Amino acid sequence: MKAIEVEHLRRVFRTTIGVLRRTVKNVVAVDDISFDVAPGELFGLLGPNGAGKTTTVKMLTTLLIPTGGTARVLGEDVVQRADRLRGRIGFIFGGERGLYWRLNGYDNLRYFASLYHVEPETSKKRIPYLLELVGLTDRAKEKVDGYSRGMKQRLHIARTLLHDPEMLFLDEPTIGLDPVGARELRQVIRGLQAEKKTILLTTHYMFEADALCDRLGVINHGRIIALDTPAGLKRHVLDLSVVEIDVFGMPAEALGRVRALPFVDTVSVENVDQKQVLHVQTPQGSAAVPGLMETLSGLRLGKVVVREPTLEDAYVRLVGGEA
Amino acid sequence: MLRTLRINARLFLEGALLSYVALFRWLRPMTYLASKIMMPLASILFFTYLGTYATSAGNASFYVIGNAIQIASVSGIYGVTMSIGGDRWEGTLVYLFGTPANRLAMFVGRAFFHVLDGILGVLIGLGWGVFLLGLDLSQTDFPALLITILATTFSTSGLGLLLGCVSLVSLDTMFVNNLAYFALLIFSGANIPVTTLPGWMAAISWAMPLTRGIAASRGLIAGESLATVAPLIVGEVAVGAVYILLGYVLFRWFEFQARRRGTLEAF
Ligand SMILES: Nc1ncnc2c1ncn2[C@@H]1O[C@H](COP(=O)(O)OP(=O)(O)OP(=O)(O)O)[C@@H](O)[C@H]1O
Ligand SMILES: [Mg+2]
Repeated sequence: MKAIEVEHLRRVFRTTIGVLRRTVKNVVAVDDISFDVAPGELFGLLGPNGAGKTTTVKMLTTLLIPTGGTARVLGEDVVQRADRLRGRIGFIFGGERGLYWRLNGYDNLRYFASLYHVEPETSKKRIPYLLELVGLTDRAKEKVDGYSRGMKQRLHIARTLLHDPEMLFLDEPTIGLDPVGARELRQVIRGLQAEKKTILLTTHYMFEADALCDRLGVINHGRIIALDTPAGLKRHVLDLSVVEIDVFGMPAEALGRVRALPFVDTVSVENVDQKQVLHVQTPQGSAAVPGLMETLSGLRLGKVVVREPTLEDAYVRLVGGEA
Repeated sequence: MLRTLRINARLFLEGALLSYVALFRWLRPMTYLASKIMMPLASILFFTYLGTYATSAGNASFYVIGNAIQIASVSGIYGVTMSIGGDRWEGTLVYLFGTPANRLAMFVGRAFFHVLDGILGVLIGLGWGVFLLGLDLSQTDFPALLITILATTFSTSGLGLLLGCVSLVSLDTMFVNNLAYFALLIFSGANIPVTTLPGWMAAISWAMPLTRGIAASRGLIAGESLATVAPLIVGEVAVGAVYILLGYVLFRWFEFQARRRGTLEAF
């Protein structure tokens, strides 16, 4: 049996815009998505902002009813069998909301333990264990109000493990964490993976996806555009190299000219302080540099580097330079 | 079966504890106690002097009893809606709806502490009546009066649960609460005898919590027996149960709509 089976899943939101002359607009958040996840697998969902990742996770966690298609998690239909499913899965949506700020960390966990039907004898042992796991033992008796963002996110991780769920949905769990905090959280996720829990993770950090995930699905505009292992996705860009050029002030028309060059595959721009870093994917490698220099002549340029492609480059190529 | 019962009893108690602890993280115990003791005094003095001034001094006990019982509506309405409305601005609804918890136990548990809190408020109010306004309790069947007070705080908390759900569906919480509170002041019979209200207003009175509880308390303090006022008490509990049921139905409707329309994160 598969841990997740998704077939032609679709979700449309009706929104109204305007106060006086109301017009109804349909937003297709998830257009048509199908994929499977095997038990014990750590599956990553990648995609630009608004691609439909959170909407997909909401449907799989019974919080949103699909407009079309079907989804089964742990063999239970997410609509018909929502009640049964809820006790077997855990989920977090990145960010700090969703806790009782006037209660301390321990009491938050206690209340959620009762919501998840955890027996008092079990939770008496489980809560201290989880607090230790997420490094909050010393702060457990303090009001959540005074927690840092990272502490709140770690408390969410503990919350979702209270009932020892078979399957976890983690929507951007490391968002907004400092590098050390994010690394510790990845360590926790690896531990869960070792316990053979099935995990669906969404993230915007490619190295994170690369380091953690067994398989990745890339979504764009509500559709899956690639589904492969990290190594498999990298093969998409094996034939390419990346030329990185620092530019101080990049006009849009110059970017257009670079994109139009025949030997250029995909271009993305990353803003770093006052400069823009151009990532140009090209099959020609360093041979492309003179042509690029010529196209950018007149602009203030910094260093130029030619490097091997990464998972991020594969992703950028897939979503067409939008990231 | 037994396990289900145990799980839900625990959920109920944990919810009660949660709203209790959260309240004290909000108010300091001294502030809470001060308001618990002074608020009944202020409202009883105000309405009793106003009432006896407008009618006659002989009516003091009418106003004292009415306004002492009326105090139940403060915990019932404001306490319970604050506990439920708190979930909205803390963003916990998404996480609550993702749990397998029994919604009724989760929902009703939040009101439990406020029932106790309401009883305490009413007793303090009656105490002030005895000490300052010469309320005579010598004819009173105390256990029966306690039962009446319990029934009344139960029913006002039921109204609170319904209002808490109304506030989830988004109207301005404080506006709705104040509206309900003042409606009770007019319709409960605490200050205006229900018999003097026009027919349609009296009909509203009998559909609201408090009205029967106040009438029963007046009867008991005047020396009537539990058997005489029993129909009023039963009626009060039934009114409370209807409000809880309405609140619960609204809560489930809200949950379903939020999943169907995707409005959960808007709250
Ligand atoms: N409740 C809602 N009502 C209306 N539109 C919505 C709602 N939720 C999401 N959308 C829209 O659906 C689309 C997909 O949103 P979703 O949150 O699933 O994207 P995402 O992939 O999680 O993006 P991000 O990386 O920014 O988190 C967006 O256009 C968004 O505006
Ligand atoms: Mg998202």
